[in-house]
Amino acid sequence: MEPILRVKSLKKIYRLDSVETEALRGVDLEILPLDFLAIAGPSGSGKSTLLHLLGGLDRPTDGEVWFTGQRIDRLDRNQLADLRLWNIGYVFQAYNLIPVLTALENAAFVLELRGVGRAQREKVALEALEHLGVAELARRRPNQLSGGQQQRVAVARALAAEPKVILADEPTANLDSKTGLALIAHMQHLNREHGITFVFSTHDPRLLEQVQRIVHLVDGQVATG
Amino acid sequence: MFALSWRNIWRQRTRSIAAVIAVALAVLFAVIYFGLVGAVVTGLQSNLTESLGHLQVHVRGYRETREFREALIRIAAVAQRRLSAAVPAADVVPVLEVPALLSGEDRARGVLLAGLAQPAAIRERFADRYLAAGRLPVGDRAEEIALGGALARTLQVSLGGTVYAYAPGTDGLGAAAYTVVGLLHLPDPIVDARYAQLSLAGAQELAAPDAVSRFELHLPQSAAASGEAVLAPLRRDLARAMGAAFEVETWREVNPSLSALERIIRPWVMTFIAFFFVLAGLLVVNTIYLSLVERIREFGIITALGAGRGRVIRMVLLEGILLCVAGAAVGMTLGLLVVGSLAKGFSYPGELAEMQAQFGIPPVLYASIQPADIVITLVFVFATGILAALWPAWVASRLEPVEAMRFIP
Repeated sequence: MEPILRVKSLKKIYRLDSVETEALRGVDLEILPLDFLAIAGPSGSGKSTLLHLLGGLDRPTDGEVWFTGQRIDRLDRNQLADLRLWNIGYVFQAYNLIPVLTALENAAFVLELRGVGRAQREKVALEALEHLGVAELARRRPNQLSGGQQQRVAVARALAAEPKVILADEPTANLDSKTGLALIAHMQHLNREHGITFVFSTHDPRLLEQVQRIVHLVDGQVATG
Repeated sequence: MFALSWRNIWRQRTRSIAAVIAVALAVLFAVIYFGLVGAVVTGLQSNLTESLGHLQVHVRGYRETREFREALIRIAAVAQRRLSAAVPAADVVPVLEVPALLSGEDRARGVLLAGLAQPAAIRERFADRYLAAGRLPVGDRAEEIALGGALARTLQVSLGGTVYAYAPGTDGLGAAAYTVVGLLHLPDPIVDARYAQLSLAGAQELAAPDAVSRFELHLPQSAAASGEAVLAPLRRDLARAMGAAFEVETWREVNPSLSALERIIRPWVMTFIAFFFVLAGLLVVNTIYLSLVERIREFGIITALGAGRGRVIRMVLLEGILLCVAGAAVGMTLGLLVVGSLAKGFSYPGELAEMQAQFGIPPVLYASIQPADIVITLVFVFATGILAALWPAWVASRLEPVEAMRFIP
């Protein structure tokens, strides 16, 4: 089976003034369609960097990134934006909701970018909020939500768009036990029933217990997986 | 996207309100300026068409000829009948202008004697506006004359006094004595010092029996009557009816200086208006740019979620346009209220009023604004919104998502 995502000899060096920090040092990884995969590792091991490169949010210093047979590390800005819009969903660690939009509008935002009509996108977004137990907060703005509630809205935003792949950076980090488990169950359902591939970076043992595959990153290199 | 842009511009309420007020003031000034220019142009047009007619008929080549006789329309009564038949709606005023020497007891001046046969309504309006004392010469009294006030002072004559006119080398008597029955106050001091008016019969008896220098065709006064849309076909029909020996001119052609003024005044006003909008635009740039700097993380998120460069640019441009449109709504409403109130009639104070009279502008003006003026103002509004937001939009579109999401303002 052809991998949905593949990276080859992937390197990423951050340069700040004259200081260089090597975040990834030649990572090779293949992610297959329908994978439910976690990238684990200590802080600073390069988990978030790898997620960014997998999703075309950043460009590698060296190496290759492939999405469904297409090399994406050489695409221009607009091509990458299109790729993200139609194929890849993100759940960011810091929620990253848009403050002037309500929870419902945030959840529907990617659909709006795709040009889905208002009634349809709000229906789909509301269903996603319902699955995450925050439908009653749909009209609230992010500053009226707790950290956990904001995280669920951010997850709903990624889920509502039903992309081919969802890349999630610590998606259960701010959720209580019950909501965290419900979210994991919902993502498993989407994985099985809707064919969405999930890639997490996580420390959460609840999530690590449920994934099919764990890739351990240590010092910017794949240790196991 | 509209909701997002609209809410974004109100996040820093004070800053956005300042930008909206700046645009509103620019629009307000623009609308008032256009209204005042409309008042001056309309006033000038109505004054000129009132005193010189909407169309004039002359002998062909009259401008080039130096010989008084060659510029005359002979057997004027026949020509006047033809004109009246061709344009029944117009009042036809025959005019005979005679260059002459006018003398009092001790002093003499070169003048232009104008013999007129005006219909009663036009004559009354002329008297209301320019007669300072006495009355205008009556049609069948060839011996009566009205003098410009400055001319009367130069010749040292007053009402009831006698002046003597000499028009040598003409076809009439060539010399005659007249009784001063009226004193005029003409706004242009040069004209006031060189103008005398008598009846058409009086002028013809002096210089050219049965002849006139021109015919003036006065249409019922309206803004449309002064427009080329009405005058151009009339001019064509008249030219055809009168034949090749005559020249038909619109009031604009008779007064090329006014046409030049009309051509200049609009670009001149638009330069001023552009200046207002540049100032307002600077405030809009400031508002949009600061707003961009405060929201770099959000632009990172939006880009990360799949918004391309074009969409980010459109989003920021929309914010600029919305700020300007909000200002335009306020400014346009206030501006139209001011112009509406000035449309009932207004006068400039003191010396300004005297100055405007010298340029042939009536003392009472009526502000008017054309749909084209509103369209031009709105074009300025949209251009300001787009140009002010263009640079911030370009900056926003160049942000890299990961770097932008890490940005701490």
